[in-house]
Amino acid sequence: MSLPVMPRETSGSEPVAAKVAEQGGRSNPFLLMPITLFFALLSIAVLRTPSLMTASGIGAAIIVVTPLILATYTLMASTIAGRGTVDLSVGPLIGFINVTMIQLHAAGALENPIPVFLYCMAVGAAYQFIFALIVIYVRVQPIIVSLSGYLALSGINLVILPRPGGVAPPFMAEWGYGTSIFSPVLIILVLATVAWLLFTATAFYTHLRLMGSDERAAYTSGVPITIVRIGAHLISGCFAGLASICFTALISSGDPSQGTTYTLIAVTALVLGGASLAGGRGGVFGSALGALNLYMITFVLSSFNFGSVQSFVTNLAYGAILVISLLLTLLIPVIQRHIRNFSPLLYFVSLGVVVFGIALHATFDYTSLGEAPAYMPGPMDIQAALTKPLEIATLTPETLALRAEAMPFVFFTILLAVLAVFLRLAFAQASRRSLGPAVAVVVTALVLGGAWVMHEGGIAPATEVVR
Amino acid sequence: MEKLPQIGLPARILGLVIAILLAGLGAGFGFAQGMAVQVVILSAIATLALTVWAWRYVIGQFVETETIVADGPSPLRLAWLQYRWPLIGLALVLAAFLLLSLTIPRFFNIWNVLSLIILLAILVLTRTLGRQFQQNRSAFIGIMVLAGLFSVGSMNIEGFASGNNIKSMLLFASFLGIASIGQTLVALLGGLDLSIPFIIGGANVGLLYLIGLGVPPWLATIIVLLIGTIFGVINGLLSYRLQGQALIVTLGTGFAISGGVQIVTSIGSAYSGNVFGTVPPWLANISAMNGTTFGLPFPPVILVWALIALILIVGLRTTVYGRYLYALGVNRTSASRVMISEMRYWVIMYALSGFFAALTGGLLLGWSGGGFIGVGDQYLFLTLAAVVVGGTSLLGGAGGYGFTVIGVLVLQVLSSFLVGIGLDFKWQQFIFGLLILPMVALYARSPHIRTQI
Repeated sequence: MSLPVMPRETSGSEPVAAKVAEQGGRSNPFLLMPITLFFALLSIAVLRTPSLMTASGIGAAIIVVTPLILATYTLMASTIAGRGTVDLSVGPLIGFINVTMIQLHAAGALENPIPVFLYCMAVGAAYQFIFALIVIYVRVQPIIVSLSGYLALSGINLVILPRPGGVAPPFMAEWGYGTSIFSPVLIILVLATVAWLLFTATAFYTHLRLMGSDERAAYTSGVPITIVRIGAHLISGCFAGLASICFTALISSGDPSQGTTYTLIAVTALVLGGASLAGGRGGVFGSALGALNLYMITFVLSSFNFGSVQSFVTNLAYGAILVISLLLTLLIPVIQRHIRNFSPLLYFVSLGVVVFGIALHATFDYTSLGEAPAYMPGPMDIQAALTKPLEIATLTPETLALRAEAMPFVFFTILLAVLAVFLRLAFAQASRRSLGPAVAVVVTALVLGGAWVMHEGGIAPATEVVR
Repeated sequence: MEKLPQIGLPARILGLVIAILLAGLGAGFGFAQGMAVQVVILSAIATLALTVWAWRYVIGQFVETETIVADGPSPLRLAWLQYRWPLIGLALVLAAFLLLSLTIPRFFNIWNVLSLIILLAILVLTRTLGRQFQQNRSAFIGIMVLAGLFSVGSMNIEGFASGNNIKSMLLFASFLGIASIGQTLVALLGGLDLSIPFIIGGANVGLLYLIGLGVPPWLATIIVLLIGTIFGVINGLLSYRLQGQALIVTLGTGFAISGGVQIVTSIGSAYSGNVFGTVPPWLANISAMNGTTFGLPFPPVILVWALIALILIVGLRTTVYGRYLYALGVNRTSASRVMISEMRYWVIMYALSGFFAALTGGLLLGWSGGGFIGVGDQYLFLTLAAVVVGGTSLLGGAGGYGFTVIGVLVLQVLSSFLVGIGLDFKWQQFIFGLLILPMVALYARSPHIRTQI
């Protein structure tokens, strides 16, 4: 099969022309690292704590990780714009929206969801708008603007709400339980992700990436850089608003001092996800994976019991993994020389199938298979040793029922793999990049469908018992 | 440094007379307030020297500023066009003051009016004189702000200019100053070092842990400083390999260091994260408020800081290492073409940064008397703020440690001032944040994109 060979960057020193020709980051080798790390961590996590794979386990994970993912999206949108825009103020900004929302709610305003959403996104967008105006017209380095914002916002947060407390709007009360996968928080996350994916189909996004890679080239080729920068920051502000809603749902109250933690973790997640802090490269897939990876590191480490040094070990692991994964990005040019046509999507799906098998293995309810034959040490019978493994599964009615129940699931997995391969091929043949979002939407829908099947009791008996 | 402009003999004599008058005035006030004779004489001499220097430097700038009046609109309109924004700003400040004095009772008193006049004088001087200082504009602005803050503070706050307060300000400034050394050096290369607070915390806990183990304190100090330097070397190697990612690399190593140190210190200890031990008296003396230096009543850490600052300022200006550092910061390609080893400088600067961070951690242990891993947390962004406010560019190649000293002092005096007028930490942080931006905007604006093509 002869795939059209796309021009791609070779050394990373002059990426602009290659990137523009590449169109839309279809094969971003920087995703190799986060995907591998994600599945490695996921399989360890599943083997260590099988209860992660229950509806409540996944639900809790989603509730905890969503604010982090959205905070990373916030950073990503403005980081792509270039000039080294690493928005250190993202944590305090989320905190600011959180505490003002809590206080306004306490004062009687902001009862209904719609005003709350509008308020949060408007405040985030307004802050980022001012940020963009300062960067554009005062022409100070963005990192100084964000440092300034960090100090000012974390100060004013403590003024508005001196200590953690307050009550979230009542409609959020049930969001933070995390007992089911399909919580409103997940819907927010999915909508935000889809919105960004749709946004990547626009010309505006191309302009944004061009500006992030090389602002001078963008300016000379007629890109309205002022408008593009403001637009990127507005998007970033909307993400910040959503992040703070999810954060509020998570803690159900106000907390003025989460700023530092969120900033540091979000920056780490952004880099782990393969984005470039210099601008021009980054996306929701990588950012979400980066944030998920950080959560997984904490989760996996908490499954080993280190006792009183737990948080120190977590810190050590954060730092070490961050530095190592950065060092591994140095290998990417080498890998690229050998793998010409790396597809993150296909890689993700194939690893996903493997880890899915591991998850099934870890969570499968072996005791429900009936009495296992007792192991008898004795003279080894060659015949028995060969056939015994095959004979273990005597087909009891329960097994048959279990098989029938697992059928849609297996079918779905195969379908997913086939579809992914098919789409990948179609994708490689078509030179229209507007397929990209459509593919992502379809795959997301499939994954959601699978989760739905699980939720509705596809393999529920197997997992219930383990829990 | 550019050549000082020459001024005429009458102007010089006038300057000398004014300086003597000022010094005499100061001495008179000093004696009237019953201060010690040595202090009065010292400050009189300092006033004299400073005035003479400033006179020569400032007046000289105006020698050749004969402007040619062009034909065109009336002079009044011309002045309006030229000074439109300053005048609008002036009106705004005055309006704000009027509003405040109308709304807040007892706001309109002599001290506040004086403060306003000083503020306006600083603004005007910055506007008019600032453009004469092409090279050291940020330092000039920093010194103006420092002088203004100090005078306003000493007028409005009881005991602001007292010896004790100045001593405590200098004490805290020396901690911040020593912590910022590394940040400055690294910023000159175009990097960042966010691992400083974590190394400070690690050194703080680690030193006490070693002392608690029974290691002689001097040996423990050397070990801690050495380990800090080694961490710095690692930072340097990693940041050099991963160009442009210094922010995140150092953050990562910082996390790892802080976690690792805590694991080591809490092995075999029932109190995780807390280390107990006795700080030796000489270490406590170095950085305690009531410490003495060769019998003089100020903590030795101030002297240490002053010495380091002097060595660094002179060293960066005159030695070949300093010049190479600037060369690398301005243009790394051309610097490496003239055989300056880029990697060596990255490693050395980060190693120095680690060393001084560990030193700060040790000194802070002497100050507080107990180990605490989070002792450096406030320095995460404060060192950055000091560097930026001082006027060292984060892109590399411009600035120096002298600027950072000014930045540190401005931050310290400002925070002391804010404490004095009754604002607590959160308000201080808020005001810091709001002030950094305009201060940087005064001198560190990058050119418009259309001029870069």
